[in-house]
Amino acid sequence: MTVRFTLNGEPQRCEVPPHWTLLRMLRDAAGHTDAKHGCGEGVCGACAVFLDGIAVNSCSVLAPQVEGATVETVGGLDRDGDLHPLQAELVASGGVQCGFCTPGMVISGIEAVRLGAAGSEAEIRHSLAGNLCRCTGYGKIVAAVGAYRDGEATGVDGDGVRTTDGAPGAAPAPEVGIGP
Amino acid sequence: MYPRPFEYVRAETVDEATEALASAGGEARAIAGGQSLVPMMSLGLASPDVLVDIGPLPLAGSERANGSLALGALTRHRELERSDELAEQVPLAAEAARYIGNPRVRNRGTLGGSLSHADPASELGAVALAYGGEVVIAGAEGERRVAIDDFFEGFFATAVGSGELLTRVELELPPPGTGHGFCEIANRADDFATAAAAVLVTVHDGGACAEARLALAGVADRPLRCEPAERLCRGETLEGEVLDAIARAVVETAEPEDDAFVSADYRGRAAAVCAIRALGDAARRAREGQE
Amino acid sequence: MSGVEVKPGRRVVGSDLARHDAIEKVAGRTVYAADFALPGMLHARLKRSDYAHAKLTRVDTTAAEALDGVVAVYTAADVPRNTVWVDVPGQTLEVGALKARSNVLADGVVRYHGEPIALVAAESDDAALAALDAIEVDYEPLPVVDDAERALDPEAPQIHESGNLLAHWELEEGDAEAGIASAAAVVEDEYRTQFIDHAYLEPEAGVSWRDTDGVITIRAATQVVEHFRDVARILDLPDNKVRLITPYVGGGFGGKEDMTVEPYLGIVVALTGRPARMVWSRQESLQARQNRHAVRMRYRTGADADGRLVAMDVDILSDGGAYALLSALVLLYSTTCAAGPYRCPNVRIRARTVYTNHTPCSAMRGFGGMQVALGYEGQMDRLAAELGVDPLELRRRNFVERGDTLPIGQPLETTVELPALIEAVTERLEPPPEPSAPRRAVGRGFACNLQPYGRCVWLNDWSSAWIGFELDGTLVIRIAVPDIGGGQASSLIQIASEVLGVAPERITIHIGDSALNPLTGTTTATRQLYMSGNAVLKAARDLREQLAGVAAELLEVEPEQVEFGAEGVSVAGGERSLEFRELLAACASVDVSWHVHATYRAPKGVPWQADESWRGRVFPDFTYGCHAADVEVDLDSGQTRVLRYVAGHDVGQTINPQSVEGQIEGGVAMGLGYALSERLVFDEAQNLTGSFAQYLIPTAVEVPEIDTVVLESGEGMGPFNARGIGEPPIGPPAPAVAAAIRDAIGARLTELPFTPERVAAAVRAREEDADAEG
Ligand code: FES
Ligand code: FES
Repeated sequence: MTVRFTLNGEPQRCEVPPHWTLLRMLRDAAGHTDAKHGCGEGVCGACAVFLDGIAVNSCSVLAPQVEGATVETVGGLDRDGDLHPLQAELVASGGVQCGFCTPGMVISGIEAVRLGAAGSEAEIRHSLAGNLCRCTGYGKIVAAVGAYRDGEATGVDGDGVRTTDGAPGAAPAPEVGIGP
Repeated sequence: MYPRPFEYVRAETVDEATEALASAGGEARAIAGGQSLVPMMSLGLASPDVLVDIGPLPLAGSERANGSLALGALTRHRELERSDELAEQVPLAAEAARYIGNPRVRNRGTLGGSLSHADPASELGAVALAYGGEVVIAGAEGERRVAIDDFFEGFFATAVGSGELLTRVELELPPPGTGHGFCEIANRADDFATAAAAVLVTVHDGGACAEARLALAGVADRPLRCEPAERLCRGETLEGEVLDAIARAVVETAEPEDDAFVSADYRGRAAAVCAIRALGDAARRAREGQE
Repeated sequence: MSGVEVKPGRRVVGSDLARHDAIEKVAGRTVYAADFALPGMLHARLKRSDYAHAKLTRVDTTAAEALDGVVAVYTAADVPRNTVWVDVPGQTLEVGALKARSNVLADGVVRYHGEPIALVAAESDDAALAALDAIEVDYEPLPVVDDAERALDPEAPQIHESGNLLAHWELEEGDAEAGIASAAAVVEDEYRTQFIDHAYLEPEAGVSWRDTDGVITIRAATQVVEHFRDVARILDLPDNKVRLITPYVGGGFGGKEDMTVEPYLGIVVALTGRPARMVWSRQESLQARQNRHAVRMRYRTGADADGRLVAMDVDILSDGGAYALLSALVLLYSTTCAAGPYRCPNVRIRARTVYTNHTPCSAMRGFGGMQVALGYEGQMDRLAAELGVDPLELRRRNFVERGDTLPIGQPLETTVELPALIEAVTERLEPPPEPSAPRRAVGRGFACNLQPYGRCVWLNDWSSAWIGFELDGTLVIRIAVPDIGGGQASSLIQIASEVLGVAPERITIHIGDSALNPLTGTTTATRQLYMSGNAVLKAARDLREQLAGVAAELLEVEPEQVEFGAEGVSVAGGERSLEFRELLAACASVDVSWHVHATYRAPKGVPWQADESWRGRVFPDFTYGCHAADVEVDLDSGQTRVLRYVAGHDVGQTINPQSVEGQIEGGVAMGLGYALSERLVFDEAQNLTGSFAQYLIPTAVEVPEIDTVVLESGEGMGPFNARGIGEPPIGPPAPAVAAAIRDAIGARLTELPFTPERVAAAVRAREEDADAEG
């Protein structure tokens, strides 16, 4: 079947069978390998992407469910070569080792701050609990999310570092899932 | 690995959905958020022949009427968790929702999906039993209503028959003076509950328990209401020795089984711990609410 | 924060340089093994055994082969040479006793659940999956051995013709029995550890193609590019017709030390001539890849009235699973480390590892040196309680020192800073917090350890590196190091930059290619910083010397006076200078080259002999650590929360503080998972832990803030006197948590993991005892 959606601001059209997941479609049909397959069962968070502005595990969404939707992956977050501020924080804080969990961590960290679910260290840890990392012990990642949140709060915007949390082509961040 | 091939049907109306479910040759499943079903398909634990996507159906939203709150089947866990309005009306559901899966599972997972899936460790199953009320099931013959107490039939089995779809959940709203408590024990954050307890306690002016509802997850082939414990609560201030009796009642009501990771014995004990703690929180909140 | 400062006179060694690979990774641009695709590639998958031990009476692939899109289905008979030999990867010396063999595809018998039986190659992954279902296998079940103790029973089913005893090491120094008899206090206990999985986030994956000149090229996630030789052996090709490339790897921890996808990728491309990709699912990775040995240890430890150890009697039995792989070596690590960092005149160690029908066990971070920490540290705590001495004081009285010899004959040549580590770690601690609620108890525990870094000295280990300038003054490093996430590559950039002055961002490193890079050995055994670091250091210094000679002539000074800076060389603080470009042109005119290839060779030792009287040096050196854990135990549910954790290690010299902290924090997190939640569960050798929902690695919620103490003694065998830090932090968490739980609840747990169920049972037993007494 044909699935049409917007990927990092660009229109996409993928020919895939309906049993393919969004993750598989991104990687094997759309040629975007930045979301990772860590478990394929919705547990590790390495495959996280934004679907219509809301973070999802792309391994647990079927390709046809994406028809007409907007998808943003970690690869679409930088602007004119500048990393998203959370990406920059992760590099600076040493929160990236093997890097396999990193794309999902970035998505989750951005959403946690956006939703106000990153107020304290404990809150950040809870917000990241669905993103497994085997390398870092999490401390530097938690610190990076905290620093990103603080930058957000104070509205710091220097040296070409973006402080917005959207992605190209995204509608303004929606209030997640609060019913009709 | 990956889900195996199936036929995909996108339903725009409830009738289309039930018809597609009824007419499918082979096993047909409805898919909404897919947060249980897709992983199970990936693990080879489910391989339906037909998947009916009910995502487009107008089954979200909530409505209050006659002492109950109707929640559409497509209400997402995230709404339960984050909506101030729902937290006000069904605070037990809001608290329990935080324990479901991880944030992204909660972003997509739905109330109807969770109840229909009927995982024995389901937090929302226990919550629904604690509130009581009815569910609305659509089928070829139209709608029918089933009491929540009769909804869970066994291991991943519910009153929803083939060709049917759960469309709405109507939770009975407890009277003023009710407090809620939810407690879960798991081996790790985001892990399935070893045991969980969902509790509503209504207190008299004097602070004693007038009415209690206590439901458990993780300790039987289905979410389980624990009426013997509820009876023990009535008229009590929920302190001291009655708690030991309640704990024993919970252990006796639970029907846990040994599995490779947790023994039946521990599950039963864990359920009792959860029940006592959730009761304590519920009674405290009920009294605070009265002050 | 480590509080490490860049030393005067140093530019980048010791500084928190952002890793070049981190920028690529965070942007999602790194091309991991599974991210690579080739036009026309086939998709390969493995049919795995449903049984843990069975005869294969029929493997029928006809129906599978007839499916649309299926190109080939191979079984054992199709593999040119169906044996995987494990010598010691990448080494030239063959050590007889360590030779181990397994099959590429099962040949008539399967010996563990998940053993590969057939290999499918298809035009699409969906077709490959369909083919797996269509392969018909008839099994004749054989009795399984699922217990190490029982494996040694003469009546037990034999898993291999050679018998179930896979390897053993035995030694006695002094007279252990007499020592025990003379001791003022003797404690005895049994400790058990579980099977665990590496659980890196990146499942095993790779692609393969036939490149120019018929070279079979495999690009796969591995810690060992030297496996190209093993693939060649399987394909019956000369070594120089197979090339292995490893991209940045999504975590290794020893799980990508033995081969995973490599032989299968080699077979498909060799037999079909077409490119291929193979990606294992998480479920396969958990169920069928080698894991960490479960070990049963019995310790008897005696001390005199002053708390000085007088005797130790250790019996270690490890479950090696169905094939030998690296079990013998893992056991050697256990044997070497069994007495811990303690002096003891009378020591007897008996260590055995056996075959069972469990998933084969092999390398994992800590490699046999870590399980025994639960034993030797548990014993120290027991002795302290028995003697009424503070546990840290008891340790202080017994620590080894430079000049001592471990029971196996290993001399300790560098400083042992354990007393300083205890002091530094204790200083970081605050008073233990009050319990957060009724029915909660708080406790504190400590553990120390030693862990070798570098390969066994008789393996003649070496590393080589190539460094050269480009004409524009940028620098290139070529070295076949696999970077598995620890910053293996970026540390080398830092070292080269330190010596040659070139700014890190002007250095490019090409890694992980067995054909185009100088070989440098495996990213295992905490040897990369030590070995490759020394090779790069040597190459950089040689290159500097070469260029300094030419520069000195031009600048009319002595070579030692030439300073190397970011853009070029200068003298007298910049009075006269040359850009690298100018210097290179000058080099060309006098026939001096601007690149070097250098090899670093590790210290050598007397080869180990299969003889109980053999004593000698096993490892180059050790890294020592001291950790402290504060925990809170829920007395009703048995849940244990780690509140605070301090981890201290002497790393000799820090190259990159963030990387050092990262290794320590990651190692502690992994160790806490080992202590509290992780285990592979088997039922009659069927592996039941087939999903990430069941295999519980810690999340950000379980791992507390980890305070790292990085001590720099200035002594170590790596570059700038660094010590390895990859494996050492994994040892202490389990014994530290055990001690903290004991402190909280008054009961001692000796079997890992300390699940809520086990802790609750211990609390209950203790409370029932107290009731009975009271
Ligand atoms: S790959 Fe999707 S959650 Fe792990
Ligand atoms: S950095 Fe390797 S899994 Fe997180």
